[in-house]
Amino acid sequence: MSAVAAKPQAGGAMNPTAMVVGVVMLLIILALCWYVSPGAGLMALIGITIGGVLIGFGTHFVPVGGAPAAMGQAPGIATGVAMLAAGAGLAGLFGGAWAAEQGLVVATVTGGVGGGLMMAITCMMVNFVYVFGMGIPSASGKVAKDPITGDTQAEFKSQGTEGHGLPFVSFVGGVIGGFLGGAGGTLIYLQLLNLYEETLPALMQVPPAQVMPIAVAAAGMFAVGLFLVNAVLTAYNITGTIEGPHDPKFKRWPRAIVASAVASAMCGLVAILIVVPM
Amino acid sequence: MSVKVEVIEGGIPHNNILMSGLLGTLVCLYLTYLNVLTNTEMFAFFGGLAAIIALIWGSHTIKVLCSYGIGTGVPSAGMIAFGSGVIAMLFATRFGILAPIVALVLAAVIGFILGYISNNILNMKIPAMVQALTEMAVVGALSLMGFAALITGGFTFAGLTEGTVTMLGMTVSSNQISFIGGGLIAVAFLLGAIAIQHPFNATLGPGWKQDRMLMLTAECGFLSMIVAAFMSFALISAGSAMISLLVAILGWAYTYNQYICLSKRDAAAWLDAKPIPDMEGH
Repeated sequence: MSAVAAKPQAGGAMNPTAMVVGVVMLLIILALCWYVSPGAGLMALIGITIGGVLIGFGTHFVPVGGAPAAMGQAPGIATGVAMLAAGAGLAGLFGGAWAAEQGLVVATVTGGVGGGLMMAITCMMVNFVYVFGMGIPSASGKVAKDPITGDTQAEFKSQGTEGHGLPFVSFVGGVIGGFLGGAGGTLIYLQLLNLYEETLPALMQVPPAQVMPIAVAAAGMFAVGLFLVNAVLTAYNITGTIEGPHDPKFKRWPRAIVASAVASAMCGLVAILIVVPM
Repeated sequence: MSVKVEVIEGGIPHNNILMSGLLGTLVCLYLTYLNVLTNTEMFAFFGGLAAIIALIWGSHTIKVLCSYGIGTGVPSAGMIAFGSGVIAMLFATRFGILAPIVALVLAAVIGFILGYISNNILNMKIPAMVQALTEMAVVGALSLMGFAALITGGFTFAGLTEGTVTMLGMTVSSNQISFIGGGLIAVAFLLGAIAIQHPFNATLGPGWKQDRMLMLTAECGFLSMIVAAFMSFALISAGSAMISLLVAILGWAYTYNQYICLSKRDAAAWLDAKPIPDMEGH
């Protein structure tokens, strides 16, 4: 089968059986975690799962244009979902990691602001390049009017394209997506960091001050790994490009929530098992 | 004009690459255990070779997966491979000598579940998805473990988290100077992720040839190994790190030459243009 004929058939349809299997898998993983590490481990896993779901849901807001956007034939930022989500999430993660000692809420919000800021800067510079570099106006191909400003789109859209540039609603969607992704990534990092700081000194038989670099690096690596897994799964869900929250593909988010929850819980369980005494 | 086809469409079957990649990686990983048996660090370079063999296998898996046109770009496959692989690899290091086997099994389980999620919950319905994501997670885990063995000389949790620092002539044990504590794992992560996703991304298209892509993977792998060998100077003895660096540079030079030859073979025409044109006669 040629690559062209074998385009993914993933529409908006849900697979109810698989969704139920996914939820059951999630419950089994939570039960396993309760079995091996009832207090701190289970709480950490719940936090990780919520963080993963935030990443998966947030990625749907980000306007991803892919290669067509680079040629001015589709709206959005001209790169792939995984790259954008990873960029926003890691920017947020670094921001939140600085505030890790300020407590859960402050650090998570800081992470969110970091991710949102990164997306805001990206969206603005992308529009600069589109408008002043390529000379194309911003117009959405999926809706007749911008849902936020009410501006009509059709008269600015070139024939034969799906729209181009970065309409206001996509910009707002990008910032919201960056905020959710950054907050989710930071939440995962904080949960693992707290868990490792508590348990690693006893496990490795070293003083707590010595274990800090290990705890930070291991929690950071697990957070990055979880982030990439969630971002790519969401990329698979929206099969490439999406304009933002007004895009019909946005309605696929329930699938991504289940997928992200199961994937984060499974990877989180492994990350927690590393500090469970054997 | 006759077209000389040197490899048949598809070339070596994927299953052969899978089996030889898996065996080669495991054998090379266990060869680094000679470090413990002989109490030296000079066999660390086998870790780099293990990573390169795994990367070669992984890039072919990416080819199998991405020839279905998953619509998300080739790099995303490399990212999910290492994202799921690093989780399995870090946990597996706790099992001492069994680490590569545990990494293999655990990564396969994680990859299988991710494949199920993509194919059924996310409704991708791509036939190769489950097997490909399973293989990718294993490749990610084993090649990271290979880089870890190359940089530290071992693949156990203790070896990856403990280092020594010499201060005023005294040798002090430190967790900061280590593969995980020093953040070298993040560099190894991206060295591997770039090396696994680049080859198919660069060679895909109607002129795709299997041997050219695999040679490019080996070239990217040796390039990553050069950087990793530089980093290993911080954690293992200079002589052992020098051996790794020499192996990496020699391997890179050979594979780069071979890749250029294969590119010339597959090119429609070849003009040896100079980067800076001669300005004589002006």
